[in-house]
Amino acid sequence: METTDEQFKIDLAEIAVEKYKAGSLSRRGFLTALGAMGLVPLLGKGAHAQASEIVICNWGGAASDILADVLGTAYTAETGIPLRVDGAGPSPGKVRAMVESGAVVWDVLDSGAGSAIVMNEAGVIQPIDYDIVDASKVLEGTALPFAIGNYLFGYGLATNPTMLPNGVPQNWADVWDVEQFPGIRTFRKSVRGQLESAVLAMGIPKEDVYDFLDEDGLRAAIAKFRELRENIIVWGSGSESQNLFLQGEVAMGKIWSTRAFLLKDQMEPGTFELSFEGGVLQPGMWAVPQKNPAGTEAAMNFIALTQDPDLQIEWFNAIGNAPINPEAAAKVPSELAAWNPADAANVAKMVIYSDEWYGKNQVHAEELYIDALIG
Amino acid sequence: MSEKTRYWMLALPALALMMIFYIWPVLNIFGISLTEPEPGFGNYTRMFDSNAVKVSFVLTFRIAAITTVFCLLLGYIVAYTITTYGGRRAPLMLGLVLLPFWVSVLVRSFAWIVLLGRSGLVNDTMMDWGIIETPLRLMHNELGVLISMVHVMLPFAILPMLANMRGISQSHMMAARGLGASEWRAFREVYFPQTLPGVFSGGLLVFVLSLGFFITPALLGGGRVMMISEYISYQIQELLRWGLATALSSALLVATALVLIVAGNFVNLRKTFLERK
Repeated sequence: METTDEQFKIDLAEIAVEKYKAGSLSRRGFLTALGAMGLVPLLGKGAHAQASEIVICNWGGAASDILADVLGTAYTAETGIPLRVDGAGPSPGKVRAMVESGAVVWDVLDSGAGSAIVMNEAGVIQPIDYDIVDASKVLEGTALPFAIGNYLFGYGLATNPTMLPNGVPQNWADVWDVEQFPGIRTFRKSVRGQLESAVLAMGIPKEDVYDFLDEDGLRAAIAKFRELRENIIVWGSGSESQNLFLQGEVAMGKIWSTRAFLLKDQMEPGTFELSFEGGVLQPGMWAVPQKNPAGTEAAMNFIALTQDPDLQIEWFNAIGNAPINPEAAAKVPSELAAWNPADAANVAKMVIYSDEWYGKNQVHAEELYIDALIG
Repeated sequence: MSEKTRYWMLALPALALMMIFYIWPVLNIFGISLTEPEPGFGNYTRMFDSNAVKVSFVLTFRIAAITTVFCLLLGYIVAYTITTYGGRRAPLMLGLVLLPFWVSVLVRSFAWIVLLGRSGLVNDTMMDWGIIETPLRLMHNELGVLISMVHVMLPFAILPMLANMRGISQSHMMAARGLGASEWRAFREVYFPQTLPGVFSGGLLVFVLSLGFFITPALLGGGRVMMISEYISYQIQELLRWGLATALSSALLVATALVLIVAGNFVNLRKTFLERK
């Protein structure tokens, strides 16, 4: 099963709307973002990329705009080749259809590990050229033969201290302790990145989370959620999770770090905290389709360029996509480091998301999860 | 062309519209439920095996039933007041009943969120007045869903009862009173039985609409009060399981039809819906 969390990427598109309203995204940028989402037909007929440009395909919204602004400008300055971002969303199905019909229009794809595995098995993406791209400039484990990490995102434990008279929960076992820490919790309305919390709350070390999650382990984790369910509200979209905190509906919860990044500025000082203790870290991946129009070298050059630490920090400041280059993570301004899931201190506390586990078990687990919450 | 044929011709565009945009898609829904992911009744057996589906169905019927009861109780009083005591103000009162129809259900549901939230108007006011110490949990649970569903459905209960009550002559009541019945007895034995068709049609309308309701429970239920329509959308959006989702939709359709058939045993549906006195 295809496991890349498309909803996270679509959520970035929604953040564009908020940025525009808040005035931190220009009108032109906003329109470009909408165009990329397919709401305004800005791109016209440009279905065929010319060899004289490079086309990056991502998931629309602010992510497209900022990718073009930050990475595009740098790439064009270095190579003289114009860069265009297509926000159509490089789902494996689309990429496969393109490659098999011989009409490839994308050069580099903003994909995920799960999708990259699927596309590699279908034989529609190229191996990464590690003579050009530096395998050491990414988080360990994210340099695959056929794809390489591009940024990190993750889930953290968000809390509202004013609603917690006995202090803020320090870990997931605390979150399950409703005596000590009364209040409503929020989790995602999907098992992705959530089951890990229940496993950690049972005292399993973070390295063993997915080994623990065999059928019995899964049932035990689900039983944990069943235990807590009277205290749970679930969020369906990123904006929903943000609203729950803004309106003071929940005292704590597991939300995307990008949403927490926005909440830290929106909530009154002292009413919002984020901890990555037992959080979940997930990498995005660059992949290059077979027979890409600009050629292999141009695509690899682009990927190599995006590994630059300064560019990655710029990217993080703009939208909260955390730098995957450990060197960049160290350079994030100290006041923002606490909000950066890629910060070395934070990475050390987090579970690395297993696309493999979710690929095999997600559908089954979702059914048990929803049953535990409502049944 | 006979006169009858000509009238049928006039109904033809509406009929064609229904065939193309309603009947045909519904048949397709049945089709998908029997063919995805593999042909057979797999989706239906899955459905009966799943505890979550059972819970969701029970919840759906329970919420629909409670909503109906409250709508009828509140609606009856409103309809009765408008007919009996409305006088010159009756059109204004009717207008107030209709007013919510002009505001989208989405907006009305969000309005309830503003009212019922933990730091919403209701909780804040009660805290200010010292009635409660900690905020009450008025939404993100079944209570919140019920409050706003009753609000959304109320006009659907009032209007049929109002139409029915307007057709009842006041002279019946007066005759009963003249023959020595107390006011309560006249109401109970003379007036109330005559309003039953209105009560039943209002009740059925509210119940059937509530069964398939989506927006309000999804917004005020906190994700855990998952009525069947929300469960269906979850199957499609989160799991891409069209087979199971369409099987659930078909089951909801059949269940609704069953409700109408059962109701038909107690009420004369033809009289309820087609012939109004």
